[in-house]
Amino acid sequence: MKWFTRTAGMAAIAAAMTAGGAVAQDNTIRFGLLQDFTAVYTFVTGEYNQGQRDYLTLVNQEGGIDGHTFNAIVRDTGNQPQRGIEAYNRAREEGAILFDFLSTPVSRALVDQVLQDEVVLITPLHGRGDASDGTTFPYVFPMMATYWSQATILAQYLKDNGGLDGKKIAVVHIDSPFGREPIPVLEALAEDEGFELRAFPYASPGNEQSATWSEVRRYRPDAVFIWGAGGGQSVSVREGIRNGIPAENIYSVVWLAETDAANVGADVMTGVHRYEAVATGTDLPILQRIQEQVIDAGLGAGDAAAVGSTYYNIGVATMAVAVEAARLALEHEGAPLDGAKLKAGFERIENFDAEGLMPPITITAEDHQGGGFGRVSQWNGTAWEPVSDWFAAYQDVVREEIEQGAAEYAGGN
Amino acid sequence: MAYFLELLVNGALTGLMYSLAALGFVLIYKASGVPNLAQGAMVMAAAYVVWFFTSLGLSVWLAIPLGVATMFLFGLMTERVLLRRMVGQPVIMVVMLTLGMEIVLRGLVPGFLGAAPKPLDIGIGLAPVIIGDVFINREYLVGGVLALALIGGSMLFFRTRTGTKMRAVSDDHVASWAVGLSVERVIGLSWGIAGIAAVGAGTLWGAVQGVDWTLSGLLFPAVAVVILGGVDSITGVLVGGLLVGILGSVIPGYLDSYAGGSTRDVVTSLIILVTIVFRPYGIFGREDIERI
Repeated sequence: MKWFTRTAGMAAIAAAMTAGGAVAQDNTIRFGLLQDFTAVYTFVTGEYNQGQRDYLTLVNQEGGIDGHTFNAIVRDTGNQPQRGIEAYNRAREEGAILFDFLSTPVSRALVDQVLQDEVVLITPLHGRGDASDGTTFPYVFPMMATYWSQATILAQYLKDNGGLDGKKIAVVHIDSPFGREPIPVLEALAEDEGFELRAFPYASPGNEQSATWSEVRRYRPDAVFIWGAGGGQSVSVREGIRNGIPAENIYSVVWLAETDAANVGADVMTGVHRYEAVATGTDLPILQRIQEQVIDAGLGAGDAAAVGSTYYNIGVATMAVAVEAARLALEHEGAPLDGAKLKAGFERIENFDAEGLMPPITITAEDHQGGGFGRVSQWNGTAWEPVSDWFAAYQDVVREEIEQGAAEYAGGN
Repeated sequence: MAYFLELLVNGALTGLMYSLAALGFVLIYKASGVPNLAQGAMVMAAAYVVWFFTSLGLSVWLAIPLGVATMFLFGLMTERVLLRRMVGQPVIMVVMLTLGMEIVLRGLVPGFLGAAPKPLDIGIGLAPVIIGDVFINREYLVGGVLALALIGGSMLFFRTRTGTKMRAVSDDHVASWAVGLSVERVIGLSWGIAGIAAVGAGTLWGAVQGVDWTLSGLLFPAVAVVILGGVDSITGVLVGGLLVGILGSVIPGYLDSYAGGSTRDVVTSLIILVTIVFRPYGIFGREDIERI
């Protein structure tokens, strides 16, 4: 309920601020966080958006950047492209120069528009993977590892811990473009590294997967990648364990968090691995400052218990990168900021790790993914524990996918 | 053979759990002739209500009866506040009303109680029941047995005095009025009982997958169950559920590898389509003959 009232409150404040035409002329940098609070991405949006707003509040509390403060325009799109387009147009009128929809359908629907309007669209952990090609998508920034890179990191981890040659890997995935996304990359790796790969799709949203896992059990895989989101992920883990797959042989895409552990049973899920984009917990400098200056000061955007959770910290990291881009843009391009200057700021980011919150990323005009870094963590019964350093893997294979997709996009436009 | 049996048994049990979601649909249709498109959202709301009581620190075994009472009242109030105003309106408007209810419930309930998936532990372990090389999902086994009991209870209920009144109302509203039956009260009761069925389905499915908005998606298999079994038949709910569950498990179990994608929803859609084309009243549905 808190996020609902606070979201509504933020929307009202944003509307009130703009009602008098007070846009863009002041020293406020506006970000449009127009996300899906009520439909498909509900498993992540609340905590993610809360982390984003709390980080912007922290920056403002610390005096902003070079006299500039940040304002989040928060609205619900319900994962519907039509509503996303409407929210985008309103936020544009209010002066937003950066957008985050946290919704693949909405982000995809607006790619052409942001390229035309020359404003920044960030697509961390969603949207088009091929938008990592900055030459084709100059204003779109995935800025974190794409699903292709997540798959290669998990494969590299397996290679480093027992090898891949002769092994059998099952990919149990939601039957959607997102679920199928890692398969081409893994097929290429299977050929190069000599392992066997088999995909097991299940129907969306994944609340019933028993037939799929009966088949997986008979396949006798050495490792299982689960590629879904929301409630379907906890069903996958439960079905995997029920069918005798050791928890430590289950490897998840980024969408597996503390809430899923609670659903599966914290003890039951012990041993499960996942790709990790951002460190979790509160034992990090940025998180401690948020706790002191935002949460303890009563300025938090939601439930304080969410601070430090997986999705909260991912939200914080996205805004840390965006604010760093704004800082670089102000330093090199000068005020007032617009989309083009902010884009240039993003492309100046080098080895930025948000004080240890995330892997060091470098964004260039060609590479908007930031290097495709991440790490593997394991659920220890109470928390996610890193079991590798930050690294990137098989980026040559990933780059092929990126360039192929980008070429198809360019060919169609 | 073991693989086939595993798909068959787990599919049958899953189908029984779908039947529970479909039961409320049939009860309301039997009494009022209205297809309740909000039944999936009622299942979701019921799961949220049970979870909410557990979040207050109550045992799940106390939360469930409280959820039953809450959803029974919700059903009664829905009829009293919304449906009764629609008397005399075209059926399509009543259907649109239930669609509106579905949208409102799906937005408001997660909005107020939290959209992230929530755990609902009813104490069923993960370990499967193993017979030879056949693994039977323990949650589905318990869910299937409970569903069977509730559906059986509903059949018996229709043999009671109140149940007989409900059958009379479902047969003919005007004649029921003429002999002094309170049609409104009977329809309200059907909504209340549908609320109770929603608690059963919501609790069982919530325990399997966690409680979130996706529970409202149970409307789709529930509709397939009632179309196949017959929209006004409780026996049809039972048989339709078993068939939808078994076909939705066995066929994808063999086809998915070749199809390269999940065929379960395709199977469910085909069940709906083929039934409507070849037997529009379903297996056990009553074929109303109208004089032209």
